[in-house]
Amino acid sequence: ASGVDQVAGMGLVGFSLMLFTYYTIWVIILPFVDSDHVIHRYFLPREYSVILPGVAALVLVLFVGKWHKG
Amino acid sequence: ADDVLIPSRVLNRLFLLRAAAPLSSSIPQSTMTKLAEWLLGLSTLGVLWGVVTFDLLGLELPGSYREVAWPLPVYLLVCFGCYSLATVGYRVATFNDCEAAAQELQEQIQEARRDLKSRGLRL
Repeated sequence: ASGVDQVAGMGLVGFSLMLFTYYTIWVIILPFVDSDHVIHRYFLPREYSVILPGVAALVLVLFVGKWHKG
Repeated sequence: ADDVLIPSRVLNRLFLLRAAAPLSSSIPQSTMTKLAEWLLGLSTLGVLWGVVTFDLLGLELPGSYREVAWPLPVYLLVCFGCYSLATVGYRVATFNDCEAAAQELQEQIQEARRDLKSRGLRL
């Protein structure tokens, strides 16, 4: 694969790894961490861990619907 | 019919082969379809999730376990999405371009266009 393809491809890989790591810490790790630990400041309240993916999925579906011709 | 692509005698032999296979009893066969298997698996997991999230059996699990349990379906979907995105990105980055073959193909296309034009085809 040529230059731009490699950058775009590995960029996707890096992005999904970061997303997976952040989301895993948020959903799986945080409930077992003391509520007064400083790490909780970097994460939104727990409800958003379900609301945000739901909104993102909705936006994706609407976006595909707009782009698709009839 | 004589004009059929696969002669009927070949089709007959293929059907005989297929019918003969289940007569062998050494391999156990499940009669459940793949859809039924998936639905059974998914509903089992769904029931387990519901029992933990809504405490339907009155187990009173520790709060932290319940906090992990209730976003789990969305979490698994996000994991699947990340895996798909990473797979697509990786395969784009490592795709095996064939520069020489692409160039040769372009030249052949040009040659074919010239040839057809000389024979009167309007492109």
